[in-house]
Amino acid sequence: MKSFAWLMCGTLLLGCGGRPSTWDKTFVPEDGSSGVSATYGLTGSVAVVDQSLGRVTMLRSPSALNLSVESFDVGRDLANAQVSADRQSLFLLSRGVQPQRNPGDEPPKLMVIDGGIDPSVKQTYTLNEALDQLALDPDNRWAVVYGGSGLVVNENELLFVDLDKPVSDPTAVAPKTLRSFGQSPDRLTFTETLTIPGIDARRLLIVERDKDIALVDLTKPTGAEVTVPLPPADNGSDGSSAQVVYSQDDQAGVFIGVRVAGSSSVFLLQLTASMQDEPAFSVVTNLVDVGGFASTIDFVRTSLGLRLVALVGTNAVLVDPVTAISATATMPAAFTSIRRITAELDPQAGTSGTDIALLYGSNTTQIAYFTLGGAPGALYRSIEASDIGVGVQDVIDVPGDEFHDRKILETPSKDFFVLDLTTRQTAPMKTTTGLTLNVSPDGERVWAYQAGSPGFATVDFATLHPISLIAERNINSVFEINAANGARNAVALHFGEGYQGGVGATVVDVSNPSTATARFFSGFEFGGI
Amino acid sequence: MRLACFSLALTGFSLVSTLGFAEPLGSHQPHIEASLGARVSKVGSAGYDPFASSDELVQLSLGVGATALRFDNLSLAAVGFWDYGGHSGLARGESTELTTQRLTIGPELRYHVIPELYAFVHALPAFAYTVTSLNDDVAQATRYARHWSYGVDGAVGAGYEFFGRRSGESIQPRLWVIAEGGYGYLGSTHLQLKPDANSGAPERTAAIDLGSLSLAGPYLRISAAVSF
Repeated sequence: MKSFAWLMCGTLLLGCGGRPSTWDKTFVPEDGSSGVSATYGLTGSVAVVDQSLGRVTMLRSPSALNLSVESFDVGRDLANAQVSADRQSLFLLSRGVQPQRNPGDEPPKLMVIDGGIDPSVKQTYTLNEALDQLALDPDNRWAVVYGGSGLVVNENELLFVDLDKPVSDPTAVAPKTLRSFGQSPDRLTFTETLTIPGIDARRLLIVERDKDIALVDLTKPTGAEVTVPLPPADNGSDGSSAQVVYSQDDQAGVFIGVRVAGSSSVFLLQLTASMQDEPAFSVVTNLVDVGGFASTIDFVRTSLGLRLVALVGTNAVLVDPVTAISATATMPAAFTSIRRITAELDPQAGTSGTDIALLYGSNTTQIAYFTLGGAPGALYRSIEASDIGVGVQDVIDVPGDEFHDRKILETPSKDFFVLDLTTRQTAPMKTTTGLTLNVSPDGERVWAYQAGSPGFATVDFATLHPISLIAERNINSVFEINAANGARNAVALHFGEGYQGGVGATVVDVSNPSTATARFFSGFEFGGI
Repeated sequence: MRLACFSLALTGFSLVSTLGFAEPLGSHQPHIEASLGARVSKVGSAGYDPFASSDELVQLSLGVGATALRFDNLSLAAVGFWDYGGHSGLARGESTELTTQRLTIGPELRYHVIPELYAFVHALPAFAYTVTSLNDDVAQATRYARHWSYGVDGAVGAGYEFFGRRSGESIQPRLWVIAEGGYGYLGSTHLQLKPDANSGAPERTAAIDLGSLSLAGPYLRISAAVSF
């Protein structure tokens, strides 16, 4: 019958035309192994990466319990995708066609998509080399692209993308090669605006590499940077950075602390004005023994001034960054992590007061409040511990103004806790299975789910009332987004059986979370073809 | 001028053909006939893409006809066709299917060039019922869109008698091969695919919008017919 049909087609002299090849490409969700996840949650939309079509499909919500879809071509061979710190933008780094054979072959590019209730492409920066790594400035001024995989790779080259400049500005993308004592960058940290005595306030980019750190002045990123070799580990091997922290003090100036892997010392850098124009600052280094391998470090403000605190076993070693004199506070447990909570307790606190920090760790069932403001002459006031019965793996911040004094404590067990920093009360949330937690962008609730099962839940911070929901299909992820009419929807995403075959979603009205009114959508993989 | 030339040519052709057979046409002009064949259409609508990797639509074609009026070599018949067929495919890895039934009924004007060969032209109102489906892997249910559409088939063609007594007086069956080509117009409909009730799909499942579908396009039909 088929051959007969073809024969007839031939005689028709019409030919039997085909369809766009997009219909022949099966949708396969990303698994995150290549630096790109399947889905990204933004403030007003959810992005679903459709790698086989080189596009991202944005799910937006025109009204409560409703979804619509819009797709954007984002380039071939996505290398990296990240959401900005404010969840407003999605950054997509693509390699394009490699190797390039024709003038029309798609070049590598960095695309920025507005993830609001009306998604759109904000900027597309064309690059002349395929790169894999991306670091985003939490203040949304800079994106740094680095780390290629070509035949020849300059491991120390960073491409600075100035997001405030239009694409047409040739200086919007500026390459810079760092002087190197080591190899490729491991981590990049964008600082806040720092006031280095004697020069104008500026922001820095701290680049951690295996043997050194580089400090790039973001007022002129292509200018000369300051590179500081790291001290060796205690066994004589090359020292590498395990953690970098920074702070500034009106009296003492700007300091950077480096926790060196395998070293019982912390490396302190004091930034001072330089005698030359470029770089405009110089560094005074100091190595301070803290008596053991620190599990973490941070800067805190005490009543005696700025201190670097290093947690070493059951000791909190407080180091004066100016004099390098250290003092030790004994902790009730071997806490391994510290989180300053001063601003969460009092958003108006500013930088002149003293800090309060939360101490926690996965190897102890206690958490503690480290109050660093004490009587005159005292380094700290108290370390008050409470036992919550389980270790704390991570502390999740709550955005927004309403519940700024709440934290989510993730534990190695199935349970999680909602911590009220003001009352110092923890509310344990028992779960039957380990859940992924996702705080809503407005900071009023947390969503919990387990990928691969149909259950998900929300806990409202105002009432701490959990509502458990069972979707009719297994869930991959849950995001809360704004709807165009001011409503808010929770979008639980589903993929087809075997983690392929299509994209769907169960949409729940956040104001009345219930699967009795939820709506089910699927077929997003067809959107826009 | 063109009309005059065309009229002269037609008159001449008619005269020659009349001279070509001395006997009356008789049963060469079918009283009734039934046909079985195949119809192939080229469907250019983008709405057809999810269901087929190429544009062709093949249908089984059953036809009936009866000659109502005769004026020498010219005759007017009433004909009707039922075309049934479809296509299945994969849309981004998910299986899809389209089936359509098309009923066309109307007049056909025939002209016998020789007793064994006639040419015809017809314009037939068309009524089509189309069912499209998508096996939704996420909803784990089959979604359907069912719709009627209306249009018209306009075609020209020819029939050749390859078996039958020479004499028009014979009342024995005659066998024909008939070929036609033309354009089948059908209005477009919007494809909103929804699962049937009790299909196991989640509650309040929204429709999938696959755009608009029109099965309009040029077509070719080849049939074998028997006439009495």
